Parts: sequence; C-alpha cells; structure tokens
Amino acid sequence: MTLLIGALTVGLILSLLALGVYISFRIFKTADMTADGSTALGGATAAVLLVKGVHPLLATAAGAAMGMVAGTVTGVLHARLRIHGLLAGILVMTALYSINLHIMGRSNVPLMEVDTLVTGATEALKPLVGKADTHNIAGWQVASRDIAAFLLSVLAVIIVSVALYLFMRTDLGTAMRATGQNDQMARAQGADTGGMIILGLALSNGLIAAAGALLAQYQGFADVQMGFGMIVWGLASIIIGESLVRTRALGIVITGAVMGSVLFRLMVAIALRFGLNPNDLKLITAVFVLVALVVPDLLSRIRRRRGVQQHA
Amino acid sequence: MLEVDSLEKTFNSGTANEVHALQGASFELAEGSFMVVIGGNGSGKSTLLNAVAGSFIVDSGRITLDGHDITRWPEHRRARLIGRVFQDPYSGTAPDMTIGENLALAARRGLRRGLGWALASRVREDMRERVRSLNMGLENRLDTPIGSLSGGQRQALTLLMATWLRPRLLLLDEHTAALDPRSAQQVVELTARIIEEQRLTVLMVTHSMQQAVNLGDRLVMVHRGRILHDFTGARKHRLKTSDLLGLFDEVRRMEQLDEATAMMLKGLYV
Repeated sequence: MTLLIGALTVGLILSLLALGVYISFRIFKTADMTADGSTALGGATAAVLLVKGVHPLLATAAGAAMGMVAGTVTGVLHARLRIHGLLAGILVMTALYSINLHIMGRSNVPLMEVDTLVTGATEALKPLVGKADTHNIAGWQVASRDIAAFLLSVLAVIIVSVALYLFMRTDLGTAMRATGQNDQMARAQGADTGGMIILGLALSNGLIAAAGALLAQYQGFADVQMGFGMIVWGLASIIIGESLVRTRALGIVITGAVMGSVLFRLMVAIALRFGLNPNDLKLITAVFVLVALVVPDLLSRIRRRRGVQQHA
Repeated sequence: MLEVDSLEKTFNSGTANEVHALQGASFELAEGSFMVVIGGNGSGKSTLLNAVAGSFIVDSGRITLDGHDITRWPEHRRARLIGRVFQDPYSGTAPDMTIGENLALAARRGLRRGLGWALASRVREDMRERVRSLNMGLENRLDTPIGSLSGGQRQALTLLMATWLRPRLLLLDEHTAALDPRSAQQVVELTARIIEEQRLTVLMVTHSMQQAVNLGDRLVMVHRGRILHDFTGARKHRLKTSDLLGLFDEVRRMEQLDEATAMMLKGLYV
C-alpha cells in the first residue's frame, strides 16, 4: 500500500512536469531540453529557501518562478536570437547545472529536518484524521505523511490542470496554440509568434520547476542530478496519455497527460518491485519512448506496402 | 492609402541562388481601389504582395499604409492594418483548433490579447450569424476542428477571418488557385461580395485570366520585379482575356530577345 500510494504521489507530482513538456512538445512541437535543468532548478531553489526557513508555499512558488526565468532564456535564444530550439534548450540545461550547484552550494541539500509543504499538509491533516502516525486504509497501515503528501499532490494537480485548461482557452492561450500549429496564420492574425514561444516556454519550465520543487519536498532532498532524463520521462507520460484518450480535445488531452504520468510511474514501481535493476530504468524509458514514437509510423508504412502488394 | 516606393529585394544574396526578386517596384493604391496583379512565374508578383504583408523586410524602398510608414514593421504588427488570404487553404487556419477558436483569433486581429475568454457567448452569437452568411451550413459546426473541412470551406472561412475586423488593406494571394472550379467560383463570389459590402482596398494576385478581367478596377502586370503595365478605369474595364494573353506573349518575346542578345554578346565577347 505504501508502495502504491508513493507511486501515485510521485506520478501526480511528475504530471506537472508532463504538462510542462506537453506545452513545449505538443503545442510548440519542439523537445525542450531545458526541462532537465529546470526540474533541478526548481528543487534546488525551493530547498535552499526552505532551509533558510522561508514559508514552504513561497519557496515552492520561488522554485517555479526560477523555472520561468530559465524558460524565458531558452525562448529568447530560440525565438529572438534564432538558435535551433533543441540547441537552445541544451545550452540552458548545461548552464543550469552550474547554476544549480551555485544555488545549493553543494550537490545535495537534505530537507528532513525542515518545514515543507509535506510536513505542513501532515499537520493540517491531523485535526481531520487524528494524531496517529499511521492510519488503517482498507486493512493497510499507511503513514499519515504519505496520505498528506498524496492529498497535497492531488490538490496541486487539480489546481494546475484547471488553470492550464482555462488559460489555453483565453485570447492569449488561443493565440499561443495557434502559433504552434501554424505560425504563418498566427502572424497574419497579429500574434507576435516569437513572444508566444517565449511565454510558452516560460510557462512550460515554470510547471516543470514546480514539479521539481514538490518532488524535492516529497523525497526529502534536492539533488543537482534530480532532473536528469526528465524530458524523456515527460514524453513517455504524454505518449501514454495520448494512447489512453485518443483525442485532440484540450481538456481531455490535459487529463490524459496526468493519467499517463501516474500510470507510467505505477508501471515503473511494479517493474522495480519485480526485480528490474534500477540502473536500467533510464535505458528502458528511452527505449519505450523510441518505440512509442516509431511504431505507429512503421505500422502504417507496412500496411501501405501490403496494400500495394495486394493491388499489384 | 497604400504607397509602395521603389522596393528592392534580393534573396540569398551573394550565393549561387541569388534572386533579385524586386527591382524598384512602385505604385500607389487609392482608398477603395481593387487592384489585380498578374505576371508570369518568378515575375515577383507574390514577392510584391509578401513585401507589403511583411513576410520579409525589403532591402530598400518605402511602404506607407494609411499614413503609417510600415517599411520596418514586423509582420504581426502590420496585421493590425492588413487582412490576408493565402494560396494554400491550409496556411490560413490552425487545423486542430475549432472553427470558433480560429474565428476568435481573427476577432482580435491586431488587438491586445489578454486573459479574456476567447469564445465568450456574445462572440459566439456574432460568429454564428456571420458564418451563416457563407451559406455552407457551418454555423452549427463551430466546435468542429477546422482541419476536417474541405479546402473551399477553409478558404471561405479564412476570407471571413481576414475581414472579420475591417482591414485597411486586404491581400489576396492566388487564393482560389488550389481549389476545384466549383469551390473557386464560390470563393470568388464571396470575395466580391465582402469587398463590396465593406468597401475594402484590395491587392489581389491571380493567375486566372478570367478573374483578372472580371474583378477589380485596376490591373497591373509585374515583370522582373517591377510594374510593366498599369491599366486603370475604362482601360481596365475594356480588357479582355485575349488582351492579357497578348501581354504575356509580349513578355515572352522580350525574354527570348534578351536571351538571344545574351547569346550574341557571349559569342562576340567571350
């Protein structure tokens, strides 16, 4: 049960990351490598502020804000200085590694002894469920900290998803989506497509850094390596989500990305439980994304070839 | 209204693919005038239109529209004054977004975009009304992705979008060339109706001789990046398709003469 609830919590936290990657990868059709750096940036910023005793909400918001700055830099490199989107992301990601080390002053900041959103949520939960450290849920003993973290992440995901959905349906959000789909048309309708890309990448990396800040508080430490491979993780979540919902309707796609992230984390947890070597995790994730990207195209090509043979 | 003064543009400057696309093109377009632009392939007629639209910044020359010097304005800023329909029906719309969302974008062309609801119910009523005027039965399909419509339907909607807020200048770039004859006819009729209703100033590039003869009150022929012929008023109205074909023949003979001269000079000097 602890394993399950833990997997769900991490899946939910990382669904914020998936939503961020959704903006760059699906709306703007670029793989924004900044994601790896801004995950750790969010975690590092929040951790350092938490250690200094800053209110956890403020520390988390600061982490997200730093992510937005990182996204803005990538956006300016790409949209204004005309650097290829992939390269712009790689440059900022690389730079962020040093910046994150400077922010933390070392490679790892533990958060076991400080007040975080998770400890805050645990305290807030006490009047509702009692002061015991563990609770009986369907015959399983679950730590109240785990319940609190789970509820906290549910709340965060609901707020962020709804806000993102509403934003995408405003005048500004509509222009942003149009920019990604047909920038020629967006400009003809008076949208500053460069500005839209910068704003979109800022938003994307803000969400990703928020995920990093929450993850650091949940796992009890921030680490300079914690963002490694996160872009691929986000892609995997989106791809799973899309295969679950099979539509382009905005609200459903956002729900799908969240579901994909949670499902993917569950699959990983189960695989690890049944003896998957943790060292192989990134390899398997990468292969999974590769297969998911290539197979649909391959299948249609094979089908076409068969069709041709039958007609011949 | 629109003043275009000695525009120069060279693409791929300094490479083997160098193209001197605009070579001092100049003209003035009066308010409410409808100018048809014709010319052979590579004559620079679309380049001229794109220069006005701001797809690129010209090397030299001046473009003034409605009292503003827009020569250095980026494309999206010019969109405040200019409505535009492209040749490719896929260029004018965002395919995965609904008809309503596409129209909502057009309803704020050139205006500030904030956090207002793009599809407010007030706007939707207006949309249904104006889409109904297309007589395509699309007014009840505002929530359909625009990518699922035919080329003709998309082009009609693009035209509606370009003129949703009355543009100071409407640019039409061979906007029926990619359509089947029936859809093309529909879009042409719609174009004429909207231009008439809103009394628009129009610049239209076409390679349909029939459209060139039937539409507009002025016709210019572009050749080698500048205006070669300019017909206005009664001279424009007297033009027949055979006259235009004659113009094209004349241009072809000029080209051949140029080539023959070049060959001769080559024989003499090289």
